[in-house]
Amino acid sequence: MDFAKSDIQAMLLDSAERLLSENADVEYWRHQRSSALGFDEARWAQFAELGWLALPVPEAAGGLDGTIEDIALLNIALGKALATEPYVSTVVLADHVLKQAVDEARALELLGEIAGGTLRIALAHQENGAHPLDVEAAATLARPSAGGYLLSGSKIMALDAPSAGRLIVSARIEGEEGIGLFLIPADAPGLSAESYPLIDGTRASDIVFADVTLPADALLVGGNRGAAVLREAVDRASIALMAQAVGAMEAANKVCGAYVQERKQFGTAIGSFQAIQHIMADNFVAAHQARSMLYHALANADADEATRSAALSAARLVIGEAGQTVSRNGIQVHGGYGLTDEYAIGHYFRRLMCIEKQYGDLIQHGERFGDSIFG
Amino acid sequence: MELRLDPDLETFRKEVRAFIDRVLPADMKERQLRKVANNAAVPDLLEWMRILNAHGRSVPHWPEEHGGCGWTPMQLFIFNEELYKADAPEFDWGGTHMLGPVLYTYGSDYLKDKFLPMIREGVTMWAQGFSEPGSGSDLASLRTSAELVGDKYVVNGQKIWTSGAAHADWGFFLVRTDKNVKPQRGISFLIIKMDTPGITVRQIPQINGEAHLCEVFLDNVEVPADQLIGEPGMGWTYAKFLLEHERTTSSFIYWSKRELARAKDIALGESVGGRRVADDPAFRARFAKVEADLLALEWSVLRVLAHEEFDAPEAAAASVLKIRGSELQQEITMLQVDAMGAKSLRFFDVAPVPPPAPTDAWPDYAPGRTTVALINRAATIYGGSKQIQKNILAKLAFGL
Repeated sequence: MDFAKSDIQAMLLDSAERLLSENADVEYWRHQRSSALGFDEARWAQFAELGWLALPVPEAAGGLDGTIEDIALLNIALGKALATEPYVSTVVLADHVLKQAVDEARALELLGEIAGGTLRIALAHQENGAHPLDVEAAATLARPSAGGYLLSGSKIMALDAPSAGRLIVSARIEGEEGIGLFLIPADAPGLSAESYPLIDGTRASDIVFADVTLPADALLVGGNRGAAVLREAVDRASIALMAQAVGAMEAANKVCGAYVQERKQFGTAIGSFQAIQHIMADNFVAAHQARSMLYHALANADADEATRSAALSAARLVIGEAGQTVSRNGIQVHGGYGLTDEYAIGHYFRRLMCIEKQYGDLIQHGERFGDSIFG
Repeated sequence: MELRLDPDLETFRKEVRAFIDRVLPADMKERQLRKVANNAAVPDLLEWMRILNAHGRSVPHWPEEHGGCGWTPMQLFIFNEELYKADAPEFDWGGTHMLGPVLYTYGSDYLKDKFLPMIREGVTMWAQGFSEPGSGSDLASLRTSAELVGDKYVVNGQKIWTSGAAHADWGFFLVRTDKNVKPQRGISFLIIKMDTPGITVRQIPQINGEAHLCEVFLDNVEVPADQLIGEPGMGWTYAKFLLEHERTTSSFIYWSKRELARAKDIALGESVGGRRVADDPAFRARFAKVEADLLALEWSVLRVLAHEEFDAPEAAAASVLKIRGSELQQEITMLQVDAMGAKSLRFFDVAPVPPPAPTDAWPDYAPGRTTVALINRAATIYGGSKQIQKNILAKLAFGL
């Protein structure tokens, strides 16, 4: 067991520090939030130049063949800077599905486009009322038709869909077991989307498929394999999001530590009050335990599915609660300023709340972990 | 970064497990498993030390020249984990983990030759005399004095919360040898034989029926001057050294892992209205959170053992381990208690060993759980209370 960073990881973090730290402030975040896509396309191109978009891509497609640990370390940096780019959707989630696709040659081509920064892909899986951890619950239906499929159904809150050129859509295939994962152009005829921002400035879409015509090769992976691949991909997305949460918590703690030393009441810095000191200590403990749990999830990322999902849900439980502790306490020590859009802590608060609820919330992960303990 | 366990360690674990299985006497294990009190019987503790010593494994964490095993921190972690899992008696921590490291680091050859073998071979039980009635969290204010008269120190004062003092043959004490300097600079580390004239030990009746904690009164107790460890006035430094040396001990990770497994057995064994406690959604959610928190603590321990680079002083991580370790001990024992519902209220006396024979209503696991849970409120008080740990963290991590 070794917690030291490899040379490649050190270089990755060094480049992240240089690119992200100059734009990790309220002014930048507010500017991005009011932009068309919620992030800066020019910076996405820089992500590509730095090789970040090629990180999990196989060498055969011009990628770096990076590990899940590499991805986690980069996402800690993205979380620290509250980056709103659709990194998790495209580079973590979609990449994993593509790597398992039946048509390898085509998948490598698409992965190459992702690495080059010219293609973004979002997952459209969640349906209204469906359990987010039950990937087979999709009601969206693909009916075999004329050598291809006709897709109908509706999805909600497809994260990062507004900036994606293509979508990976989960659907039952009529007459077959399991689910299929289909790759669909975001502007396919018969597809309509309503897009909106989330509270952290990222974007999502509700999407309706009204008999969208799909060619046979739109099916990336199907049957029982489809569900397993989607579970793997969503778990990897969860790991990347947890890494972002760890980065956000550690950054929020720094922000709060500085604030309680600056802010004076009763003629002295509020950080000199024991009541405030103990809140800060609680925040430090929470962020420390969160990082420990990220390591637990990483150590089990490639284990068998039962072990992996138990470890991941346990981690989501600790990290989700820690994120709430750190950011709620952070608002409290800021007093009224914590509620303004002009102080960083409110931005961390909103981001951490989003992460806690995406790809399964605290209650759902708590249930899944509890079931893994008692069967 | 490599977060998976080295496969060689799994081989080591198997070897350790087989070793314990071979050398741990069945009747001793049975007494451990069924004891009502928090603390094991002294004869078992000493006998177990002697057994381990016969195999060169009673002080595996010490330097090899003093009888250690030369193991890595991860090997030590696994060894301890397996000992607890097997319900082996615990080490006499005062001797093996507190006094021992101070002795071999700062003690004279005379003290090392005399006392290290006694600890290693399980000859004596040790008492730790630090706290005083007026000096709890503010330990540096301690007043028990040791005045040098000829070749002896004459000790006067009172200690409290001295665990197991009634059964200890020797003790290590923090005493004030100089009243004219800054409080921390006037403290020395002194070894005292517990049957020295002038020492009176009073056992304190506890809320769980035990009387393990003691008061120790010292009235003109004469102690050979060569039993002072290292330099006079350096006792505070040595005490801090031993806390840093043992920075993962306060996590109680091995104990908590075993007790959480026991809480699970209880939740599977108890039913209410035909439903297992384990199947109650509220209980299950609470259990899941505690187990997840314990996993986080375990990884935090591993990070400290591996000296992970960290953007706060390493001592901050030690306070995190103490805070979470003590809170989780309490949460886990309360899971055990709450899983038994009102049945947890039955008082079991610590005296009869073994406790009453198990029945359907009162299974093996029933006696002792509440006894331990009651006294476990101490976990967030001793060794630097939770509030003191938070003060330390605020200072170390944020400069407050």
